[in-house]
Amino acid sequence: MTLLSDSDRPPAVLVDDLWISFRATREKNQTLKGTIAGLRDRGKRTMLIEALRGVSFQVPAGSVYGVIGRNGAGKSTMLRTIAGILPPTYGRVTVWGEVTPLLSLGVGFNRELTGRENILLGGLTRGLQLDEVYANFDAVEEFAGLGDAIDFPMRTYSSGMFGRLAFSVAAHLKPEILLIDEALSAGDAAFKMKSMQKIQDLCESQHCTVLIVSHGLEVVKALAERCVWLDRGIVRLEGPAEEVVSAYMADENIEATSASALEDV
Amino acid sequence: MAVTQPYRPATVYESTATGLPPLRPYLAELWERRRFIWHLARTDLKGEHYDSAIGQIWVILDPLLMAAVYFLLRTVVRPAGTGSQRAAIIAHLVWAVFFFTYVSNAMQTGARSLLSGRNLIMNASFPRAVLPLVSIVKAVFDFLPTMLVYFAFHAVLGQPFGLSLLTLPVVIVILTLMNIGLAMLFAPLMVFFRDTSGFLPYINRIWLYITPALFFISEIPPKLLAYLRWNPLFPAFAALEQIFNAKFPSSGYLLAALAWAVGFFVLGAIVFLARERDFAVRL
Repeated sequence: MTLLSDSDRPPAVLVDDLWISFRATREKNQTLKGTIAGLRDRGKRTMLIEALRGVSFQVPAGSVYGVIGRNGAGKSTMLRTIAGILPPTYGRVTVWGEVTPLLSLGVGFNRELTGRENILLGGLTRGLQLDEVYANFDAVEEFAGLGDAIDFPMRTYSSGMFGRLAFSVAAHLKPEILLIDEALSAGDAAFKMKSMQKIQDLCESQHCTVLIVSHGLEVVKALAERCVWLDRGIVRLEGPAEEVVSAYMADENIEATSASALEDV
Repeated sequence: MAVTQPYRPATVYESTATGLPPLRPYLAELWERRRFIWHLARTDLKGEHYDSAIGQIWVILDPLLMAAVYFLLRTVVRPAGTGSQRAAIIAHLVWAVFFFTYVSNAMQTGARSLLSGRNLIMNASFPRAVLPLVSIVKAVFDFLPTMLVYFAFHAVLGQPFGLSLLTLPVVIVILTLMNIGLAMLFAPLMVFFRDTSGFLPYINRIWLYITPALFFISEIPPKLLAYLRWNPLFPAFAALEQIFNAKFPSSGYLLAALAWAVGFFVLGAIVFLARERDFAVRL
């Protein structure tokens, strides 16, 4: 198959004809009782959800790559597959380098622990060794800028503070391929700017590749070189970020001005 | 723009239905994660009870109260004769309840480990066996202090001391292996069938009653013994009974206990590893 890329850089992520489907039960959770009862009318109780249907694209190494699309288009599912959390139903994902996911639920923080303890936990969750975490500890703490709150349990944190620490942990512990799923949306304007700069810096000076899922279209436009637009599990358009975002906005009937206005809603 | 990329090895994710992952890299990665396991266990315990004095005492008090209840129950059913007989019964009940609590604690928290680690599973990629192993480490931490308490009882109740007590760690290691197997067996079961959590306490309770924990092996009628022998915990508890009576455990019991433990460990590991790629989909 041909891949739509005009870049001569090697890929850091290659997604090749990726299909993901779930068999979801209508019951809330699958139970033994339900399974036994359901042996008779098997087809009725489950439905097949095809989250991704033959998605292909590649991310050039050392670039920021945007992923846009409506809610339920399969963006988060795709990031989870790239992170090796969800197995593909069909197709293949290849990554060159270690993947650091920064997904919607944080990086495995324990709410009972202090921010400081969670920096350590977050690093270990990523598979780092203790000395690697300690070597970057101060940078993480400083970037998060939580002040004294770093020694309070994280259950006392606001969602913005939570997001700040999560981003800081992910970005400062030598990521190679960083997956960011709406993680910046909780931060305030100043932190957003700071983290955008950090993302650019990671790509330029550390050869890090960043995949960013965002509904903040202006963020994607400003940061990403290229972008993929997912629509109900298929690639609607892939190309330079500017073009893809414009096409998406035209399709969704969003005016350019209102897009930036809606950014922080 | 020519960018010199540092060399980074490729990782491929494909749909490999189910089946065991390659074991050597899996174990290597698990070993790499030992710090992570340790840290998760420590922080979990801290969150649960270790930061409060009451919580820590409760870990010991709970099985002790259980033992007291069973002692009352026993003496109602069959009044114990002499004082020394009574002391022997109390000592037996205390160690047996402590050991059984270790097994059932490991089994129950292990079984829930994937459900309670849902956040981690959905947001990070790591060998999932980390989670049941964390519950085993926690169970060990809850168990070891109870041994100290037991030996206080052992001394006060005038139970015999001997070199055989040094073989105690052997049985603890065997039971730990069995616990890992049980945790890895029940954890996936709980993911795929959520209502199994309701059965587990009953399974545990029945298991306690058919294990020579609340009674001595010599009290079991021969006919019943023929069946109770097949309880996977029987050989381990039989060996423990010998050890605490200052006798060396018979090799037959030790080998049988080891066989059961290895059996559960292998079965649990196979079931767990074969299904672990599905956990994120099902949670």
